[in-house]
Amino acid sequence: MSFGSPYLTLPDFTYHRPSSIDEVVALLKQHGDEAKVMAGGVGLLAFMKERLMSPSHIIDVKGVKELKQLQYVPGRGLSVGASITYAELASSQVLKEKFTALHEAVSRTADPMIRARATLVGNVCEAIPWIDSAPALISLDASVEILCPGGKRRVPVVSFIRGPVDIDLAVDEFVTSVEVPDPAPGMKSAFEKFTGGSEFALASVAVTLATVEKKRRARVVFGSVNSTPIRCVDAEKMLEDAEFTRATIKTAAEVASEKVECFSDVLASTEYRRHLVEVVALKALWRLL
Amino acid sequence: MRECVVKVNGQTRRETIKDNVLLLDFLRDNLEVRSVKAACWRGECGLCTVLLNGHLVKSCLVLAVEANGGEVTTVEGLVQDGKLSRIQNAFVEHGGTQCGFCTPAFVLTTHELLEHNPKPSAGELDEAVSGLICRCGTYSQIKEAVAAVSQPDGKTEPLQKLGKSVR
Repeated sequence: MSFGSPYLTLPDFTYHRPSSIDEVVALLKQHGDEAKVMAGGVGLLAFMKERLMSPSHIIDVKGVKELKQLQYVPGRGLSVGASITYAELASSQVLKEKFTALHEAVSRTADPMIRARATLVGNVCEAIPWIDSAPALISLDASVEILCPGGKRRVPVVSFIRGPVDIDLAVDEFVTSVEVPDPAPGMKSAFEKFTGGSEFALASVAVTLATVEKKRRARVVFGSVNSTPIRCVDAEKMLEDAEFTRATIKTAAEVASEKVECFSDVLASTEYRRHLVEVVALKALWRLL
Repeated sequence: MRECVVKVNGQTRRETIKDNVLLLDFLRDNLEVRSVKAACWRGECGLCTVLLNGHLVKSCLVLAVEANGGEVTTVEGLVQDGKLSRIQNAFVEHGGTQCGFCTPAFVLTTHELLEHNPKPSAGELDEAVSGLICRCGTYSQIKEAVAAVSQPDGKTEPLQKLGKSVR
């Protein structure tokens, strides 16, 4: 992916603003791979300016009422509709209390003007390596709900994101919501990132700790260190088996730094990212003590 | 091509445009509202910030057709009966502008902040303007201007702790 093309304008397309899910489905059926679904447009318009995408039809789903829903049902969890923005999520009290890692990730992404437009579903579908929401969603075992011609299907976020800008979604399908299961009582979670003044994180981490059937269950998921978010199962196991102390946290962070494969880009080298993996893991886990 | 009707600073404007025109280019080129600055075109510097239906947005990340039937306010919209708003006067008084290129975006953003939060802390102000770049680096004077409006009694806490900046 190279950013910095000379284009400042968008390629030609026809704009559609459906008002129901049925209309979205009909438009996708009619235009297929010529069409792109747009929610906030923050990512899509940037890709189009770079000519990395040139759809001839844009389907804006902001007018679809069913997709403008943010619902929390105890026992079932949180449902985030496709046109729910980051700003709406950041101001949600239930998100702050029960899904702390996700709340911290969305309220620290970009700036207030971007958050007023960008959507969680759009962000997950963009699937660039630097997204903050994905590690948090994976640590909370979230899934995306996809509307396909035969009905609906649900895919865990961890397998939905197949690679950088590569998602498990056919041209006639679209994501209607992100579904986050209700956390176990007393579950704690946190999100930390290091940006070093850059627009994107150089390393981020989401951690959750819960007790499920008298056993501790941990999730440690890193973002921005490789082309997709990475779970560190070794660190998770350590946190599950040993007593949860500062010493355990230190060892788990060191294990993560050793085991998590990091890439190198213009912003940071592999070695530096390995160091950051340890730092962000320590910061996040300490907060759960 | 489609007809786009947008209320800009209280005035209804009607233009026929292509679907791929950005709100930024629509405001500048079609409606000649030049206080909306075009600089990075990719949502990084925030100098094209406008109020769209009451929300601050970067107009380079919005399609003009999305604003169809809506309402846009730019910095000109803050002037009432030919008088500058309090924050506009404070920018003048405290030298919150240097080359002036970022001023419309900063004025609009800080005005909007003060509307919702009359006494912002230093952290809240930093957060509110975190999407804007002043290429001259006039940030401390901008902070003074906001402090002058939010704490006019001079009993200032967080903002004036910054001290007098060097001019």
